[in-house]
Amino acid sequence: MSSLLRWLGAALLLAGAAFLLSDYHNDVYRKLLLWVTLALSYNFLFGICGQIAFSHFAFYGIGAYSVVIFLFQFHLPFPLAILLGIALCILFALAVAIPSARLEGFYLALATLALAQLFIVVLNEGGAVTGGPGGLANYKLPEFLGTRIRGPWYTAVIVLLLLGTLAVLWRLDRSWFGRACRAVRDNPEVAAAMGVDVARTKVTAFTLTSALAGIAGMVYAFVDNTVNPPIFGLDNAFLLLFMVIVGGAGRHAGAIIGAALLFLVPFVLSPLIGHHHVLVFGVLVVAAILLQPRGLVGLYDAIRRHP
Amino acid sequence: MKNLLAVAAALLAASTFAQEPIKIGVITDRVGVSKPYSEPCTEGTVFGAAEINRRGGVLGRKIELLIEDDQSRPDISAALARKLIDQGAVFILSMSLTPATQQQQTVTMEAKTPQMTPMNSGDTLTTQLPNPYFWQTGPLGSIQIATLLAHARAQNLKRVALISDNSDLGQLLARFFRAGLEKAGIQIAAEEVVPRGATTAEPQMQKIRAANPDAMFMAGVLTAENVLIFKAYRQFGLKFQIHSSYNLSVPVYMSVAKGLIDGVTFVDAYDPDKPEVKQFVAEYTKATGKAPFNMHGYGYDGIMMVAEAIRRAGSTDKEKIREAMQQTSYAGVMGAKGMKYRFPEGKRAGFDPDGMVVRVYEGDRQGRVVHVGQK
Amino acid sequence: MQDFLELTVSAAASGCIYGLIALAYLLMIRPTGIINFAVGEWAMVGAFGGYLLLSKFEWPYPLGMAAVLVFMLVIGWLTERIAVRPLVERGAPLLAPILALLGMLVVFREAISVSFAPDPHPVPYALGIQRQSFFIIAVTSVVFIGVWLFFERTIAGKSFEAVAIHRRAAALMGINLSRVTALSFAAGAGAAGLAGLLVSPNVSAHYLMGVPLAIQGFTALVIGGVGRVEGALLGGLLLAFAEQLTVRYAPIPAGYAQGVPLLLLMLFLLLRPTGLLRAK
Repeated sequence: MSSLLRWLGAALLLAGAAFLLSDYHNDVYRKLLLWVTLALSYNFLFGICGQIAFSHFAFYGIGAYSVVIFLFQFHLPFPLAILLGIALCILFALAVAIPSARLEGFYLALATLALAQLFIVVLNEGGAVTGGPGGLANYKLPEFLGTRIRGPWYTAVIVLLLLGTLAVLWRLDRSWFGRACRAVRDNPEVAAAMGVDVARTKVTAFTLTSALAGIAGMVYAFVDNTVNPPIFGLDNAFLLLFMVIVGGAGRHAGAIIGAALLFLVPFVLSPLIGHHHVLVFGVLVVAAILLQPRGLVGLYDAIRRHP
Repeated sequence: MKNLLAVAAALLAASTFAQEPIKIGVITDRVGVSKPYSEPCTEGTVFGAAEINRRGGVLGRKIELLIEDDQSRPDISAALARKLIDQGAVFILSMSLTPATQQQQTVTMEAKTPQMTPMNSGDTLTTQLPNPYFWQTGPLGSIQIATLLAHARAQNLKRVALISDNSDLGQLLARFFRAGLEKAGIQIAAEEVVPRGATTAEPQMQKIRAANPDAMFMAGVLTAENVLIFKAYRQFGLKFQIHSSYNLSVPVYMSVAKGLIDGVTFVDAYDPDKPEVKQFVAEYTKATGKAPFNMHGYGYDGIMMVAEAIRRAGSTDKEKIREAMQQTSYAGVMGAKGMKYRFPEGKRAGFDPDGMVVRVYEGDRQGRVVHVGQK
Repeated sequence: MQDFLELTVSAAASGCIYGLIALAYLLMIRPTGIINFAVGEWAMVGAFGGYLLLSKFEWPYPLGMAAVLVFMLVIGWLTERIAVRPLVERGAPLLAPILALLGMLVVFREAISVSFAPDPHPVPYALGIQRQSFFIIAVTSVVFIGVWLFFERTIAGKSFEAVAIHRRAAALMGINLSRVTALSFAAGAGAAGLAGLLVSPNVSAHYLMGVPLAIQGFTALVIGGVGRVEGALLGGLLLAFAEQLTVRYAPIPAGYAQGVPLLLLMLFLLLRPTGLLRAK
């Protein structure tokens, strides 16, 4: 009961904040929340299950594009569009994960790298369906009961998305499945000896986190009411990896801290030091790893242990 | 007496600037893929704003540029547009990636804030969204191909090749080049793409050679990949004429494609013999110690047009600026001699369809204008 | 037929570049297990070295090439000192140096990006436009033969292999692990920088050239397998031939042609998960 209250409190606090912010800060806040959501699910895949994949942003994109295409090109009803979008993500995830699970090491990295690149090719070549390089625009979130959710209310939707994602991952992490994932990450042979089906665990974790990324993408599609290829490219996939690392891989708090810090760095540093901010960002990443390989959250632990 | 006059003049100048400056937002890219184009364009805008302020500002107020860097990331770009609006910008100039400009539009449309891109040239920017607060004055892809075709008319082209790259602008230009060629009844015998990061364009150029076209049209905008195309062309000793998009109008090709581009024709929005251009080059060089090129001109014209619209609006009310902007008739640095930017019949793409010129590389130098407009 | 012969030369040259980058990865992975994605940026640094020495200061080619190579060895050694050794000495998990090197990737790229104009910079050919492909193939062959001989025929090479097979046992045998690591990074940077210098007359030196090379080289590495030196070259050649033959002969729209080699590779890996060559 008290845990439910805590979640509710968090939801109210995070969503309430949106109503106090200006348009600009609301927008940054919305995008920050989305990055945190993505970092959380990516952290489960990379930090907890130990799989290096570069497809997280492609799934974010598949979610975003599919909901827009199903709704506004094929004119399907809203719930159906969402379900179909999720189904599409699961389908693609399985197609990548099942073959990759048979292979070791970098093969998932390579397969997902290929998927991410192919996705961009398809978006650019998709003609009228994907809008080509210009993407799709000029659409709006459908109305529910005569009202359209917008402004800070939409920020509240993203807060629900974030907390929902966190809740799912939290439960999973503490369940038998989470332990299996950690075992697979630390030593697949030992995990197999303990009776964990390594391949199935990997495939399930990949598919699940990819679907979560897809759902986040659907929410993103209505943040600026436009989708275009550059958002879903490889650059952002690398940025996501940095976020999880800098914050502390394998910890939910780490993903949240890392995403918040790295997303906000350019906004804060760019006005202060101009285009050198990316250089500073790189130095920060290296320094963070050198000083505390377990990320900022590890630094926090160390400080708490030896005050 | 002389000193007294100077003091009086200074006081007068100070009093005209006593009011709040007019804030104009600029969204540029200082780190990402657009950097080579965004940076000189922004420099042109900064110089233009300084010129305006030196001549007394607009409506007796100084212009203040609020410059933001979006790293060519469209989501950040849209957030920055909101930031600029919150900070009181009455106009936003967009000089970043085409999709970034597009994503800013979703914000300016909602916030009813005038926005213009002086350099993006994708035709779709003004057609995809019904945003009355947005204009573009870069020369459209459709104008580029029509001008190139008008120049090549004497060659009586029947079958041609089209080559591009996989960047967003390259793809967009290729789309409008394809449409323009089809409209002119010219068959596209081969269409090729050189992807970003390729180490050679030989297979693509072999395919084009096999198609034996009358000429080749280039729509790509990635410099390194375009140089690969020229290298393969020279290596194979090919002879057909190359007609290129405006990407070849930037001076970097004179050094990076040395010895490869003699005789290539390209479309440009910049005529170095035009009096306005000569004056701009002289003033810019004097003020900054560096010679400008066409990208600077785009940015300079952009800020000048905005200032002129605000002047005609007589206020910084966004709705009045929008109306004034739509009525623009402005002769700037860019465009053929006598060209004016206009937005007739509610159109929001303002580059005159007859305002582009065709030029030829002579040796490694960007040579004279050989053709003007679409006739 | 003429097309096919031309394409063979061009794909072989591209394959050699991919192979050199794959070799750079391999030299570091074998003894340390560390995947260093910054190899692409090293290649970029090599290319900019070529621009400065050969285009700007107009040094003779052999001298410029040697200077770039020496400089790259230093860069590799320094990178290891800064971003790898502190972590290895502390016994950090293997992922830590990999990630630190990803950070170094950003540092290298931005250092170049803020010091040079954003436009591509020209780098001259070694022997002229018609012979560059052959020059690339020749230099790469020499490098690969040299590396192969080093591993197969010298004691030092054997000690590298010993470290690759079992770190702790190698250390007990008196092999200086940190020296092997430092040398492998220096050599990796040398190979990557050479690749950058060789490819730069074609692609020019520019701040965004690193990541595509890193991806192409990584793909080549995975195809060839990390077990053997020859694998890197074979993987590179296979990738380049797949890419260029697809563009030239496959009857599909140009935009999709870039995707086909990727799909082929996935299929190939499914059938042959350890790469072309297995470790001995």
